[in-house]
Amino acid sequence: MFDVAFWGSVLVGGLVAGASSGLLSVYIVGMRIPFIGICVAHAALAGAVYGALAGLDGPMLLLPALGGSVLTALALGLADPRKLNMDANVIMGLLFSVSMGLAFVGFGFFAVLGRPDHDVRALLWGSLMYARWTDVWLMAAAAVALGVFVLVFGKEMRAILFSRTDAQAAGIRATGVWTGFLILTAALMTVNFQTVGGLMIYSLITNPAAAAFQLVRGSGRAVALAMLFGAVSCLGGFVLSAITDIPSGALIVLLSAGIVGVAAAWRAVRRS
Amino acid sequence: MNTPAVKCEDLRVVAGRHEILRLGQHRVDSGEMVALLGPNGAGKTTYLRCLLRMQSHVRGRVEVLGRDISALGSGGIAALRQRIGYVPQVLPSRTEMPLTVREVVAIGRTGVRGLLRRLGGRDWLLVDEWIERLGLSPLAGRGFGDISGGEQRKTLIARAMVQQPEMLLLDEPTANLDLGWRERIVEVIDELYRSMPLTVTLVCHELEVLPPCCGRVVVLERGGVVADGACEEVLTTELIEELYGPGLGVVSSAGRWIVAPGEAGRV
Repeated sequence: MFDVAFWGSVLVGGLVAGASSGLLSVYIVGMRIPFIGICVAHAALAGAVYGALAGLDGPMLLLPALGGSVLTALALGLADPRKLNMDANVIMGLLFSVSMGLAFVGFGFFAVLGRPDHDVRALLWGSLMYARWTDVWLMAAAAVALGVFVLVFGKEMRAILFSRTDAQAAGIRATGVWTGFLILTAALMTVNFQTVGGLMIYSLITNPAAAAFQLVRGSGRAVALAMLFGAVSCLGGFVLSAITDIPSGALIVLLSAGIVGVAAAWRAVRRS
Repeated sequence: MNTPAVKCEDLRVVAGRHEILRLGQHRVDSGEMVALLGPNGAGKTTYLRCLLRMQSHVRGRVEVLGRDISALGSGGIAALRQRIGYVPQVLPSRTEMPLTVREVVAIGRTGVRGLLRRLGGRDWLLVDEWIERLGLSPLAGRGFGDISGGEQRKTLIARAMVQQPEMLLLDEPTANLDLGWRERIVEVIDELYRSMPLTVTLVCHELEVLPPCCGRVVVLERGGVVADGACEEVLTTELIEELYGPGLGVVSSAGRWIVAPGEAGRV
């Protein structure tokens, strides 16, 4: 029997996570920065570690986690790869190593102080099967904020995706818009980490766009299709999980990767 | 006397211990077309980047379209850049995002339109006009990454032109193109300059790229000006041999210029 009370929040949460990650994936894959998922995750972890050391626990740990990830996004947005003569992925590598180092130094203090750190460790590895409606509303609010941003600054985002340097040369306020996008991205991912889990987020910020880019031309169509693929991956994964009793996260990841494979094959067939 | 579109006084760009560009007194009048010639590493692209204030370690005074660029804040420099159409030397590395040719051209309207304003009907009309004018209509819905290098150059020229710029900066617009596409791009530049009031600076290292409308050539070598004047005065066999080595000469016909080896190039 379908238990609405249990599955309602899980399915709506999956739909929100899938569609919003699909939207994100268009810009993350477009800028070739899928490593941002790992980078933001460890910045959030570092924030949560020091939040916990300061005495926060439970849902309150989300606040320092958001602080850590947003700070990293701010640094990434303001660091102009052209001026620094460094690729964005190299800058992310640097930020990742710093935040991971800080996080592990913090974990060392837990041992010294003899305090448990399981609340912090659980932050990145949530599961949608345990999502509550408050989590879903929080995810939806972050997703709506990102959607509004993309609607309002869509033309600037398109220019930045094409070439950030060219956008600056054409008098577009590229740094401000890009930094704003990264901050919202970091916030959305951090909220999703604790509810959806890192593995699914890493996959869903890459695979939906990778599939959509195989099939359509034009930014609007790519965004719509990536959001659809993200949502289908999540909902499809839950349905398959309910039928087979296999863990839903793994099925969602494999389904989204399968969609990329099918899209690539479809394109190859169409071209031939 | 015409108003200057570009005015440089003691412009110097120093990277480490190397001076990569030095211009004592340099001026480009409004409506003038100037070609910047010189071998690789002469400072041509650096000069364009100085005009856009995208070059670091710049000393001296640079005025572009009547504005002292070092005195401008971020809003001021963005507004100035919106008045300048720029076609870069290097094509953007193929973005993963499958933007259409029409979307890429529309990027030129983005800065001009400003933040928080969507592109309107007039913007898209302008985009479609330039797409048609440059013969890109059949490609408008195709992905930018799916078209040829020559078509991509034309798309970037259209992107610059929809800005309705007062000044156009072209950085080696025919780099890596075959002969047919090179000629088509030269034709486009010539037609653009003749049909509208526009100040054009064209950077190239091949004389063959100079369109017939080009009236002035500035030759750079190792960051300094070695010649500046009308094409007929500047483009001599002596200069070309000095720049590129002996055994080369210059041939001119119907406003176009070529460099040829041996006797063929002796004029």
